[in-house]
Amino acid sequence: MIKQNLKRMSLVTILSLGLALVLLYNPPLLARAERSLADQGPVSLVGRVTDSQEEPVRDAEIVLIINGNREALLSTASQPDGAFMLDVPAEIVGDIETLTLEISRPHFASQVLEIESDDVAHLNRGESLRLPDLELARRITAGFWVATFTFVVILVIIALEKLHNAMAAMLGVAVILGTTFVGGAINPDLFIFDFEQALEYVNFDVIFLVTGMMIVIGVIEETGIFQWLAYQSYKLSGGRAWLLVTILMLITSVASALLDNVTTMLLMTPMTIQIAIALGVNPLTLLIPEVLASNIGGISTLIGTPTNILIGSYAGLAFTDFLTNLTPGVLLAQIALTVYVLVRYRAQFLGGESGLSEALLNRLRESGRITQPVKLRQSGIIFGVMLIFFIVGESIHLAPAVTATIGAVAMLLWVSPDIESMLKVVDWTTLMFFISLFIVVGAIQEVGLISIIAAAISRMVGGNLTAAILVLVWSAAFLSGIIANIPFTAAMLPVVGFLTRTIPGASNQVLFYALSIGAAMGGNSSLIGASANLVAAGIAERAGYRITYKEFFKAGMPAMIITVAIGTAWLFIRF
Amino acid sequence: MGKILCATRGGEVSYRTQDATIALAQERGDEILFLYVVDIQFLQKTAHAVRPDVVTAEMEKMGEFLLAMAQERAQKQNVAADYILRHGDIRKELTAAAGELNIDLVVLGKPTGEESTFALAGLEAFAAQIESETGTETRII
Repeated sequence: MIKQNLKRMSLVTILSLGLALVLLYNPPLLARAERSLADQGPVSLVGRVTDSQEEPVRDAEIVLIINGNREALLSTASQPDGAFMLDVPAEIVGDIETLTLEISRPHFASQVLEIESDDVAHLNRGESLRLPDLELARRITAGFWVATFTFVVILVIIALEKLHNAMAAMLGVAVILGTTFVGGAINPDLFIFDFEQALEYVNFDVIFLVTGMMIVIGVIEETGIFQWLAYQSYKLSGGRAWLLVTILMLITSVASALLDNVTTMLLMTPMTIQIAIALGVNPLTLLIPEVLASNIGGISTLIGTPTNILIGSYAGLAFTDFLTNLTPGVLLAQIALTVYVLVRYRAQFLGGESGLSEALLNRLRESGRITQPVKLRQSGIIFGVMLIFFIVGESIHLAPAVTATIGAVAMLLWVSPDIESMLKVVDWTTLMFFISLFIVVGAIQEVGLISIIAAAISRMVGGNLTAAILVLVWSAAFLSGIIANIPFTAAMLPVVGFLTRTIPGASNQVLFYALSIGAAMGGNSSLIGASANLVAAGIAERAGYRITYKEFFKAGMPAMIITVAIGTAWLFIRF
Repeated sequence: MGKILCATRGGEVSYRTQDATIALAQERGDEILFLYVVDIQFLQKTAHAVRPDVVTAEMEKMGEFLLAMAQERAQKQNVAADYILRHGDIRKELTAAAGELNIDLVVLGKPTGEESTFALAGLEAFAAQIESETGTETRII
């Protein structure tokens, strides 16, 4: 057996050596052999298209013109990573004289590239060819101005409350797609992106996470837990306003982190007003600190604020990432905020009793009870399990959106098994707002506005991570007081993504946390800075206590500066 | 005994109007009907998911608490008082209540500062509108 194998091996070796000798002294035969190899598989021309920031450019049309014959051409489109591959037909391999590559894409200057003769020879020998990266230069088109103008107008409309947020964002989508399809037919420069491309910008992780949490929160909020917590704070404080505000701030902060700050404020505000009246203090001295704490508390988790949901989904940050990297900083900021509040409102907190009648105290007690204890127990169990899955989900690649969806389904099946409930708790206008916002932000990304902003910030910080953190945190903080922080954050995500890839040391995602801190804490600087501020002001106004822009600014701006400074310091300590 | 309709939000800025209405009721020997209107239009300002039904329920509780306070203020001064709670826009609901509830006099609080819902000129026009639409005397106090 061994002898037979040795004989076979010797025979193969001799034949191989003989073949090698024949090939060595007969080059045409070598070429024929390469051709024959080529017959076994395609000869490919591969490459990658990038922009001037070395970011991949997808959907670029690449056309290969062979031997100058425009009828004999190959074409393909670049993939999301910018890569493309063209398979040269086997029958023309060996007969190629010239190759011309034309690369074109809306919002970029087209490029024509003659393939060098050495590279053509490679292909003729049946060898695939890898081209160096092809860089396309941005071109400012009429579509750029339409998309940019539309985005700015949406921000202004939302800030001035001229239209509902969802309506404003949907108007933006209508303008952008209308310009693409109607304007683009008249002038190709008005093309922004087509409908399929627009849908690719919609982040369905966010949509499912938001929808799931809406259902979960929608069920929990019916139970009376928020009102019960507020009343227990009142009882626990024993009539001491300074202690009451401290407890209320803690509760709103934790509830905002785990559920949602707007829901927390919507349900805590009416009860807080009644408690303040019962204590004989101005309700605004409790409400303003509560809303400030609520905006800060939400930052500590992935699900606490819509901006964190956007950031987490875009950057792939898990629930535990926020807990580890932001929660300690948020706690420090909350402590500082509490001290600030106690100092600022010290005179009002020393105010006297209102002398509320027993009937009114009974009414207050009645308002502060758990209305649906069974539902609270069931939803509490489901939410507890959800929190566990949020925390451990990362290790089994369970996306937060999936956990939220499963939790929502469990809520509906076990706690509120009725389709009407589901329709009631899902806020479709909010979902349309997010979908429309993604498309509008996709449009400004498509036309190059985001690249311009990213390049400008990159130049400003000059590759310095410390400078980048400071610029991001503080610009986000101040801008969030003027413009709505959700569209702002959505637009900044690709910018931060670019800076994270290009600034040395930023790969630990610190810049995303900087954006989170700036966008959410910045909402405290003005009444229009956060939705929680507006809903608290809306309810207070209906009880005869108006929170004016000036009054909120006077309390909120110093609080914002103090807490953002602490948040920034925490980022430098942590990273 | 006549009936005075007094729309109130219940906060400290409303106390002056409540007290003036109570004094007027004492003088005329009328009873007072305090009105609170639950309006959740402010929810339009948020892009967050909210449950209008849950928020409405909380606003109702708060409104009833504030109305009960107003009622107590009147009763402490031996003036009969009751309250109603309606939903919607304050102008429409006040006008509708004046027409539907056999009201003899509608009182509106004079604007006192930035906390007021109406400016004086707007309030005078509104008072005239209530009178023309319902035939009910309307006073700004």
